[in-house]
Amino acid sequence: MANWQEMMPSTRAYLMDKVLYELHHKPDHLEAYNADADAYLARFGLPEELATAIKSNDVAGMYLSGVNPYLLRAHCIGVKIPEAESLAALRSLLDHEDYNDG
Amino acid sequence: MAEITGIYTASHTPVMLNFPDSIPAALKDEIFAAYKAMGDDFMAGKPDALIVLSNDHLHNFFLDNFPAYCIGCAESYESPIEHWLHATRRTFAGDQAFGSYLLKNALEAEFDPSFSMEMVLDHGSLTPLELAGVDPDLPIVPVLINCVQPPMPTMRRSYNLGKFLGQAIANYDGVDRVAILATGGISHDIATPRMGMVNEEFDQTFLAHMESGDVDATIQYATDFVHTAGNGCEEIRMWMAAMGAANGATYERTYYKAVNDWYTGIGIGRFKVS
Repeated sequence: MANWQEMMPSTRAYLMDKVLYELHHKPDHLEAYNADADAYLARFGLPEELATAIKSNDVAGMYLSGVNPYLLRAHCIGVKIPEAESLAALRSLLDHEDYNDG
Repeated sequence: MAEITGIYTASHTPVMLNFPDSIPAALKDEIFAAYKAMGDDFMAGKPDALIVLSNDHLHNFFLDNFPAYCIGCAESYESPIEHWLHATRRTFAGDQAFGSYLLKNALEAEFDPSFSMEMVLDHGSLTPLELAGVDPDLPIVPVLINCVQPPMPTMRRSYNLGKFLGQAIANYDGVDRVAILATGGISHDIATPRMGMVNEEFDQTFLAHMESGDVDATIQYATDFVHTAGNGCEEIRMWMAAMGAANGATYERTYYKAVNDWYTGIGIGRFKVS
């Protein structure tokens, strides 16, 4: 596998990037999200499947959106998804034939 | 005319602070001792200022405006910016004049960095400084390289930026003694299916290239094989910059261990500049 899903910026990934960035950097956003995830996510005009991946803590689904991995990682820790759960979800996507051969 | 008293390269990861006990205590102690030894060596050189070559992990910079290179020109830097990082909040002194000097000279040398007069440093700068026990009153100048969002500056460009920095530091009259800490890498994956599967073979080969003193071969290897060693390995751009600043000085690793449960190949080393 390669280091990155997307070698160039894409609008679809950016939609997810923006949510995961603002959630953990803008004052009161995390509280608003925790209070009412649907209302919070409605601010962003995301495609439904991306919003669903976020609110259901679907780490594999978020990864496959092309989101920046650092934003995904910070989000997993920031909303306290158990470490073993995050890791297992990511690992489930590994194609062993691709491992470390780029 | 400033003297460069030391140039170190060292990995960083928030896991060291957030989940330190996910590895055996003896190994954790060994790694923390290696960082402390680096810090002691740094401070033995009695630097007046410290250049921190690191990267922002999408905290200060976002995709609305993301610099390839950024030079810090602030009087001070709070840290950390991550609300989830298990670290004591602290304020590092900044060397505003030194940062501004490097910025102006970089532009004159036809590099085009952005600059920042207000940044809250993330774990990329904080963890190695904290573990090294570097005095927070030692003024720093952060120089940040985009290693986290493609497309990114090339390995060679980062080496050349470091070469420029070494020369500019040598020509600077504002301080007498300067140390450089380049932090990031080596092999690691962040939030990918490969996370926790450190490519030790890459790390060993990379470190051997660094120690060989063959700059072109090192840059070529970094360029051609970084994609086998994880998105976090893109941070070896800071090692390229350190190699440029070292201007031919010999490199030696002081510590290496592939630590899968910290998701990272932990490498520490120094250039023999003094």
